[in-house]
Amino acid sequence: MKEENAKNVASKELSHIELGKFYFLNNKYDEAVSEFRKVLEINPANAEAYYNIGLIKESSNLIDEAKEMYSRALAVKPDYEIVRNRLNKLIGIEN
Amino acid sequence: MFFKLRNREVAKKTKNAEYCLLRCKDGVSVKKKQFAVIGLGTFGYNVALELVRKNIQVLGIDSDNGIVNRISNFITQALVVDATDEKAVEDAGVADCDGVIISIGESIETSILATLIVKELGVKNVIVKSSSRWHSKVAAKLGANTIVYPELEMAKKLVDTIVAPNILEQIKLSKDYNLVEVIAPKEVWGKTIRSSDIRNNYGINIIAIRKQIPIINESHNSIDIKEEINMLPGPDDEINQNDVLIVIGSEKALAKLKKIEDN
Repeated sequence: MKEENAKNVASKELSHIELGKFYFLNNKYDEAVSEFRKVLEINPANAEAYYNIGLIKESSNLIDEAKEMYSRALAVKPDYEIVRNRLNKLIGIEN
Repeated sequence: MFFKLRNREVAKKTKNAEYCLLRCKDGVSVKKKQFAVIGLGTFGYNVALELVRKNIQVLGIDSDNGIVNRISNFITQALVVDATDEKAVEDAGVADCDGVIISIGESIETSILATLIVKELGVKNVIVKSSSRWHSKVAAKLGANTIVYPELEMAKKLVDTIVAPNILEQIKLSKDYNLVEVIAPKEVWGKTIRSSDIRNNYGINIIAIRKQIPIINESHNSIDIKEEINMLPGPDDEINQNDVLIVIGSEKALAKLKKIEDN
């Protein structure tokens, strides 16, 4: 029973991530952020969700918010290389 | 003393070597651009490396043996030379260069003497990195062709980004006109250039629009953004929420644009 619950939670997380990506690719940024936030409600340690929100903020020229999200992603997953590269670029450090 | 003697020999050898010339396929010799960088501190070191990246031959000069050793593998020639020793600077081959960048920051006196020596050697293009207003004035009196004051320029740029965060980049074109990269103001989101009437409303001309296109990065299977630039956009091109406009306008018109963003 416990195993099944865990599977359901993981599947819910994944479907919100995929839906968020779909919205992002269709330029529906607010909806995309809302989906990624739902992922974080289920699993606050989901680094990809932080990264995705950061990327949306960056593409919306909201650089401080993007930096904050990338930092959170790195706090959860310090070896997340693409996030490290993006954050370094925003701070002004060349990779 | 040992280094000076050694380097004079190296400099002479260098002058005679093929270092100055490239041979094209048709056999015609073409001179590659050569620059000397005198003073290989942080600024000079990076200038030298950037010049090499742009395919320019670089002669780097510094009085510090350690710095010269460190850069020697990355530039065309690196020499330990006292920049205030006229004969040593001449022997290094500085006079043959298309331009000289003097980036001696720690001693204004040394920088000024080096400028004088290089000008007397007949170098046509002398660029001096200044470290104060007085330094700039003296370098100008000595005939420096360009004076850069990176600390002051960066300070101004930094303040601009703090005061007007929507202005991403600003290049002065003339006394009154600037080229500016600005985040598209809310008022024009979803409008075409024609319907936004941006030229009449703001007194600026859009010369390019930079867009962030959402994509899937196949290698990471994650979302990513790709930058696209629409050069010379037409009147029917649309301006969207996250676009960055590259515009030309007067200081007055651009100030109006900044104010709109503040409100």
